[in-house]
Amino acid sequence: MTDYEVVIGLETHIQLNTKTKIFCACKADSWDDEPNTNICPVCTGLPGVLPVLNKAVVEKGVLLAKAMHSDIRMRSFFDRKNYFYPDLPKGYQISQYDLSLASGGYLDIPMPEGYTRRVSIHKLHMEEDAGKTKNAGNLRLIDFNRCGVPLVEMVTGPDLRSANEAAQYLIRLRQLLRWLGISEADMEKGHLRCDANVSIRPKGSDQLFTKTEIKNVNSIDNVKNAIEHEVERQIREVEAGNRVHAWTLDWDEEKNELRKMRSKETEADYRYFREPDLLPLDLTQAWLDEILADFPELPLERKSRFISEYKLPEYDADILTGERNLSDYFETAVQQYAGDPKKVSNYLMNDVLRMLNESGKTANQLKLTPAYLAEILKMVDAGQINTSTGKSLLEKVESSGRSPKSIVETEGLGLVSDDSAIRAVAEKIVAASPKEVETFRAGKETLIGWFTGQVMREMRGKADPKLATQILLELLKK
Amino acid sequence: MQLTIQEVEHIAELAKLDLSDEEKEQYREQLSSILAYAAMLQNVDTGDIPPTASVLPERSVLREDVVQEPLSPETVLQNAPHQKEQQFKVPIVMENGQ
Repeated sequence: MTDYEVVIGLETHIQLNTKTKIFCACKADSWDDEPNTNICPVCTGLPGVLPVLNKAVVEKGVLLAKAMHSDIRMRSFFDRKNYFYPDLPKGYQISQYDLSLASGGYLDIPMPEGYTRRVSIHKLHMEEDAGKTKNAGNLRLIDFNRCGVPLVEMVTGPDLRSANEAAQYLIRLRQLLRWLGISEADMEKGHLRCDANVSIRPKGSDQLFTKTEIKNVNSIDNVKNAIEHEVERQIREVEAGNRVHAWTLDWDEEKNELRKMRSKETEADYRYFREPDLLPLDLTQAWLDEILADFPELPLERKSRFISEYKLPEYDADILTGERNLSDYFETAVQQYAGDPKKVSNYLMNDVLRMLNESGKTANQLKLTPAYLAEILKMVDAGQINTSTGKSLLEKVESSGRSPKSIVETEGLGLVSDDSAIRAVAEKIVAASPKEVETFRAGKETLIGWFTGQVMREMRGKADPKLATQILLELLKK
Repeated sequence: MQLTIQEVEHIAELAKLDLSDEEKEQYREQLSSILAYAAMLQNVDTGDIPPTASVLPERSVLREDVVQEPLSPETVLQNAPHQKEQQFKVPIVMENGQ
């Protein structure tokens, strides 16, 4: 049997999180709204209206282009893409065709197996979304709320080589979009939509064979699943001596299968031409500088820096840079603590992450601030509290918002480092354990742990264990 | 500039129009003469002129990202011949039932 190589390119539509639509001042996000409540003459294409471009859409588009290492065009154009569809009231979509906001670029995808896949970006442009249609018997119901919602369409080259790589691309893209603060990137809500172009070829060939396009997949797991199904189908067809046809396939989530859709309209049928209602978009250097002034360190760069600067294991660094708030939180806590960064990482990975998952909060919303976390770590280091008190303090600070120090004081959680108090208990234990004292003095010095344990128990864990051990040794070696 | 019947059928298909044979012939003639008229522009030598998308003064007109009051659903739907659940109701027009 021939060995096949899988060739995948992804077309993503990214819904930008601006307040208003791309060409009018209607609210952009209609997720919780009734049908046809966020629309105006512009987004419904009534006669005599003109689109006016939303500045924030351009700014967010520029941030994405920069993150993709694309060349940003100082002058770009909008074009009309003409097609007839009930959810498109104007009969055309305003998009960008040949001279879009940016060209070229790439995204590096670190794979869990250890290699990095560089995915080239073929297209990056701004456009408006269409409305939503819903089946109602043999009629369709139309909600225009989504008309004019700003999108960036981004198309990759045929560079992905497995369903897994496609899934990782989407995971990294979602991370990046949230990191840049330009999209909520929630696939279930349609903020990030993905079509996959899939073909196979004999291993070693560099030709591109007929591809199919998979549409309507609304989660990363489903993208992976659908691609795997399609690759298997194409291999079966080719092995049986059949051709792969350029079908458009629809993923049926419930039946876990692909269905054939309409034959693909060719590009020429869209009859693109320059949008006469909009002027060319000119970026000035000053505006570009302003947009990029606060351009953040990107997740993968930050991850490598965490590894080199803080000596974190790769696993920790990957999780701590999964989300921008969390990585900022970590870094602030490390600076405040000024101790071993790995200790901060341990508290975050074991306790703070669980806290975030359970509460649905992001790191910047915690009452347990990085400064409070650092304070707890310092108290543990200084022997003022023990580790388990430290851990229990995390929850207490989070629920009360009080500082760790004040909780330790009012609840009496501090370790007793008063020499005389510990000495009194130690003397009592030594006096009450003649047998153990004898064994110890006969040479079994490991028994010191047992003595310390007794003191700790007597003092309900609040003795400074180092000091207790020291006093006990003094008494036993008399 | 004479369109073929196949070209007329293709254009009708893109607009989801069902044309009779007489209409196809009628539109073939009308569209052909419109195209022929527009084709006169091809006689102008534009070799030295860069592609021009707009003749307006060059400046980007942009809008701040501030929400304004939308139309009420009643206004939006007042001219819709058919509606249901505050939505427009339309017949199915696409070949695959969409």
